[in-house]
Amino acid sequence: MIDSTIVRLTFRQLLGQKRTILMAAFALLPVLIALLVRVSADSGDDLQELTASVVLDVLVVGLLLPFTALVFGTAALGTEFEDGTAVYLLSKPIPRATVVLSKLLVAWLATVGVVLISALAAGLITIAGEPQDGIVLGFAVGVVAGSLVYCAAFIWLSIATSRALIVGLLYVFIWENVVVGLFEGVRVFSIRAYTAGIAAIFMDVPDRVFEADLAGGVAVAFAIFIIALTTWFAVRALSRWEIGEAS
Amino acid sequence: MNEPKSPAVEVTNVSRWYGNIVAVNDITFSLSAGITGLLGPNGAGKSTMLHMLAGFLRPSAGEVRVLGESTWGNPEMYRRLGLVPERESVYPFLTGYEFVLESARLHKLPDAEAATTLAIERVDLQSAMHRASGGYSKGMKQRIKIAAALVHNPEVLLLDEPFNGADPRQRLQLMELLRQMASDGKTIVFSSHILEEVERLAEDVLVIVAGRLAASGDFREIRKLMTDRPHTFVVRASDNRRLAASLVADPSVYGVELRDGTLEVRTSEFAAFTHAVAGVARRNDVSIFEIRPTDESLESVFSYLVKR
Repeated sequence: MIDSTIVRLTFRQLLGQKRTILMAAFALLPVLIALLVRVSADSGDDLQELTASVVLDVLVVGLLLPFTALVFGTAALGTEFEDGTAVYLLSKPIPRATVVLSKLLVAWLATVGVVLISALAAGLITIAGEPQDGIVLGFAVGVVAGSLVYCAAFIWLSIATSRALIVGLLYVFIWENVVVGLFEGVRVFSIRAYTAGIAAIFMDVPDRVFEADLAGGVAVAFAIFIIALTTWFAVRALSRWEIGEAS
Repeated sequence: MNEPKSPAVEVTNVSRWYGNIVAVNDITFSLSAGITGLLGPNGAGKSTMLHMLAGFLRPSAGEVRVLGESTWGNPEMYRRLGLVPERESVYPFLTGYEFVLESARLHKLPDAEAATTLAIERVDLQSAMHRASGGYSKGMKQRIKIAAALVHNPEVLLLDEPFNGADPRQRLQLMELLRQMASDGKTIVFSSHILEEVERLAEDVLVIVAGRLAASGDFREIRKLMTDRPHTFVVRASDNRRLAASLVADPSVYGVELRDGTLEVRTSEFAAFTHAVAGVARRNDVSIFEIRPTDESLESVFSYLVKR
């Protein structure tokens, strides 16, 4: 189901110099803010709440994770459609499911590589000296799972539309940050809500410290469902992919 | 070699449209081993046809079969089929050798390294194979793309404008390579908008104009059709009227017209007229200052074939 040549090629393609520098710089942001929070925190501040609800939930899960997954998820296959090299990959006797799963694996590992390190560093800096109560562990597991859901969705988008980056940005910033905030019922269609719900499974904290929008079981079930659905859509779209006039 | 074989490529009533635009219109042909040139002006539908043969476009109507199988939605087909796309793009971070090697590995060839070395030798790119392909010239990129497409020794090789960017020496070399492959029993189909390329390489030719198959078959026959079509020449001479009176008596000429100090001559026999005109002028003591055909663009040649 996974082709090692595709994995190797995609890693080399994704981790080009500019993209890696950009993502590394972006990953530093939550860590720098965590340092600022610690430096400016006074004795009245609840460091557990700052760690879970601000640094990890807002900065890492709300911003760094979807943005990183969007960059790697849409680039894993999307750049090959743009520059015309997809023809070389698709003119080989490889099942389209293998292509999609190999690309998904690379996008996921690249996203986890960036986001997990940032989440661990930012979480541990902010909460240093306080009881963790599963906060850092929960968000670590949450971002690993959330990365997979986002990447599966964005890889599908990159096959289905040539404007995957714009559609992905609209999903993250309009749907997840505005629409989901306004209408509680649509939370089941928010990858961010799944990530937070999975993270909360591992935490033993009061609601004032962190409260997820979805129960753990519901979050896990929807995450698995969306991964399976978008991967299936991606395989289907790739099987029907047609070369463009300019390709 | 003499055994009758079923056609390697069979195209039956194939059309392809994009919304209201018809790119390929009800084309039928079949091809066997050898080299076939897909000739036509830019935008005629050659690439659309090749992409349908390669399984990268689904026919809107009709059927495309290569080696007896449908190519659309059939990745297994690529074990026996190779494609050289027109776009120059290669993975810029790979060397030429790595590019071909990764193709061999994606084909799961048992000895990918040996197949890679052989393919690169065939396109004569050994000297540059360890350089990053992003820095290759246009001709080098074409050759490395061809090496990658033939690394698995396909039975059918499709090439979209393969001589673009190649210098004359590389062009001859590529032509020789394709001839060798054809003599090994492979089926080669290449597209070109340059008549001379097709003339030098292809045994059979398919002329596509405005999405329709304008002519097909032996190149010499089609070339004759192109040459014997009606031609119009504009002639400027010392005495246009006297020359017109004499030319109209020549059997190769079927019409003359005097206009604005020039003479327009219509002929159905290109070669006979060009031989006759000088003698007619000499006998009538007329000097010819200028003689030029008015409609020699490839497009006009093609549109004549369509109207036939």
